[in-house]
Amino acid sequence: MKWPWKKRRKKLNMPEQKPQDIKELFKHMEQSDDFSHFKHQQDTMSCWISFYKTICGLESVHREILPYIFKNNVKNLMDIKANLPIEDTLVTKDLRQIQDKMLEGHMAVQMKEDDSECLLIPAPSTENRQVTNPETETSIVGPKEGFVESLDTNINLVRKRLPLPNLYLKETKVGKLSKTRVSIIYIKGIANQENVNTVWQRIKTIEFDQIVDSSTISQIITDSHHSPFPQFIDTERPDRTASAIAEGKIAILVDGSPHAVIVPTTIVDFFIAFDDYFITWHIASFIRLIRLAAVTFSVFSTPLYVAILTYHYEVIPRDLLATLISSRAVIPFPPIFEALILELTIELLREAGARLPTKVGQTIGIVGGLVIGTASVQAGLASNVLLIIVAMAGLASFTTPNYRMGNTIRLIRFPFLIAAQLWGLIGIALCFGFYLSHLLKLTSLGRPYVEPFFPPRFTDLKDTFIRIPVNKQITRPLYLRPEDPMRMNKTRSQEKRDIDE
Amino acid sequence: MNDHSLVSATRGFQPDKNQQKNILWQKRFGKGLPLIYTFHTDKERNLMMPTSTLTKPKISENSQVSPFLVFFLMTSMQFGVGILGYARYITHFAGYDAWISILLSGVSTNIILYLIYKIIERGNKNDMIAIHKELFGKWLGGLLNLIVLSYFFSYVVTILRSYIEIVQIWLFPQFPTWELSLLILLLVYTFVVGGFRTVTGMCFLSLVYGGFLLLLVYFPLEYAHFSNLLPLFNHSVPSLLRASKQMLLSFLGFELIFIYYPFIKNPDQSKKWAHAALMYTTFIYVILAIVIFIYFSERQLSHTIWSTLAMWKIVKLPIIERFEYFGLAIWLFVILPNICLGVWTVTRGLKQQFSIRQIITLPFILTAILIITCLFKNRIVIDKLNTAVSMTGTTFIYFYIPILFIYQWLFLKVKKND
Repeated sequence: MKWPWKKRRKKLNMPEQKPQDIKELFKHMEQSDDFSHFKHQQDTMSCWISFYKTICGLESVHREILPYIFKNNVKNLMDIKANLPIEDTLVTKDLRQIQDKMLEGHMAVQMKEDDSECLLIPAPSTENRQVTNPETETSIVGPKEGFVESLDTNINLVRKRLPLPNLYLKETKVGKLSKTRVSIIYIKGIANQENVNTVWQRIKTIEFDQIVDSSTISQIITDSHHSPFPQFIDTERPDRTASAIAEGKIAILVDGSPHAVIVPTTIVDFFIAFDDYFITWHIASFIRLIRLAAVTFSVFSTPLYVAILTYHYEVIPRDLLATLISSRAVIPFPPIFEALILELTIELLREAGARLPTKVGQTIGIVGGLVIGTASVQAGLASNVLLIIVAMAGLASFTTPNYRMGNTIRLIRFPFLIAAQLWGLIGIALCFGFYLSHLLKLTSLGRPYVEPFFPPRFTDLKDTFIRIPVNKQITRPLYLRPEDPMRMNKTRSQEKRDIDE
Repeated sequence: MNDHSLVSATRGFQPDKNQQKNILWQKRFGKGLPLIYTFHTDKERNLMMPTSTLTKPKISENSQVSPFLVFFLMTSMQFGVGILGYARYITHFAGYDAWISILLSGVSTNIILYLIYKIIERGNKNDMIAIHKELFGKWLGGLLNLIVLSYFFSYVVTILRSYIEIVQIWLFPQFPTWELSLLILLLVYTFVVGGFRTVTGMCFLSLVYGGFLLLLVYFPLEYAHFSNLLPLFNHSVPSLLRASKQMLLSFLGFELIFIYYPFIKNPDQSKKWAHAALMYTTFIYVILAIVIFIYFSERQLSHTIWSTLAMWKIVKLPIIERFEYFGLAIWLFVILPNICLGVWTVTRGLKQQFSIRQIITLPFILTAILIITCLFKNRIVIDKLNTAVSMTGTTFIYFYIPILFIYQWLFLKVKKND
């Protein structure tokens, strides 16, 4: 159907310049100044060498490739190929392949300039960042390695933690323009094959011009595009990635991104810091419960304040009432206005702190938190009770170990605030109901998102709010439908010993 | 037949469990004694039980739920608004002996549940719509289906309207009925659109959220007068029965399994969970009733419409003075599964009856509920609605289901003999 209000956009295709032969291809490439194409003349033979200076490692070209070409006993391409101490060299006539390989950092050698046969020698430069500490998922104990922007280094970091022949890796190129290398890693025999197929099929069918980061991939292949909740977790810790793969999950690594995307995930994963596994189970469980309480507090405290002060003041006990009255007596605004101002101020501070360089950011935090807070209370623009509540809610929302989930929690408070203003406590309940219905319907890679809670699976509850001891974690998470659900031999691991044995 | 021949007859293949039992019994009591009871094999039992020719319904596994979730489907459907005020109605007839009536209702509903399962199993595990059509033909069966569905519909209306009434009385006297009704029905829409699994999820979570409200019975115990319960057995059997009939409105909801049965994975395993659910509700009702009885005096209770809510007033926490305000807001999650599952059942029934897609009927059903809830204006009319639905439910449960059970048995027997 033709909608009159919808603008028809003319389809503008990029003029595809398909070179007809190799000469045309090199001519096309030579328009770029970093392309070098020169003739090498020697007594026994002459050849044409061409490569991009910027993506080939010049040092390796000079030290490891050219000396072998310049040797005297070399007569043709096959001789060069035999002489070179480099694997993966290739003699081909395929123009498409030549173009792709050269753009990846191969160098091409021809006997004559219009010779369609080419020897392709890999010489990509390996410039990348050193493996350093993870930036956002810091830990006090445990490994301190973080992913970097190079796919091969990242795969190395994972593979060295799981030295298995059945740690499979599938690689493809995604993005019409960026042609980014994307690979999925999983353990054959543990990961559910259906999950693997789904991920692989979703990645294969991506239609997008540029893949900047792994988050682009995770946003494109996500189950629900309209959900505020992140459905795939991304981590910059190779240890976390490896342990997720060992559980039967699948990791997606993208070249140029220091993050691995782990699929499928449940909502619980976003509230787990990997630190929890490095400490004993009582402390880990305690911290997790505190985190849960913090998130609940952060979401509900301000809406409850608004609802109670606007509609249900009978709920406040008499002793508390005096404190509230004295703090609110001079405030000229209704509670919702007061709450919105303070909440937005906190959001402003947070955003300003995140965008500014670290040193300035801290100053902003102090200035904003101390000066604005105190001044607004003294000026009678906000009540100090609410200031305490909002500040604590802000603090509590920082306990979420995952950055994306932290953002979501930031956002979902505002509908609660508005509902609380409109319909009081019933409004909060209704708003919660809407989120609940959304969460119940949400899936991650087709697996239920709120899994250990609904559908209730009691064996999977062992690693949620209470983390039971490691030696009691016998099964892998069952919602993944792992092909081998047992982590260890149950009878052997739980053999009872008698006293004095 | 001696045990030797019995054994030799079964030689060559493994005798099944019941045959083994037969052999064991014969050994134990001697050859001469006749068997008091013969354990039939599953095959024999199937042959004895007349079954219909209906084809087994096919539901994709993606929308089915585990059998143990039937427990939550049933209990969450039974806890509705009834639990907030049932104490007054039953004491009207049976005084403070009324907890016996609750037990009676619990026992009788368990029997009815057994009949329901039997009817469904004989109907080749089909839902009520198909069974009705088979037994009564296309037209009469269709009419019966419409009557049953409209009963479910009115059940939903009752729950929703009663909840709105409580909110208007306790929280917002000025809250327009249509506004709250619209908001709740929008919420219901988002749940029902998610399908049976999402609705079941709501049922499950409702018991988790509502469950902790039950812990509040601890607070009134401080002011308990256990002597209120005495003397025991002070009322005649007819008045106990009358009270147990009054109690039924709080037990209604389990009969919806007639429609959602095909959505249960391995439904045979769900039986024990269903019965456990009914026992659980009975247990909770009895406990709550006893706490109410020892907290309120009989005179006071007769003036208290929402006794459970009134009891929450005594709950005092350091930062919350009037707990029932929170209780009422949380109670939304106790009535939501009632409405969601009820609406789902009606749309599913209409789909089976007229083959209209659920996504099309759902907005119409919700609009109808919205309009009808707005028509009931005051306490007297709502009370009449409650009584009417309770009466219909009683008739449906205690008269119609046994009759259907017997009729189906006869029908299938005659059909088999033909």
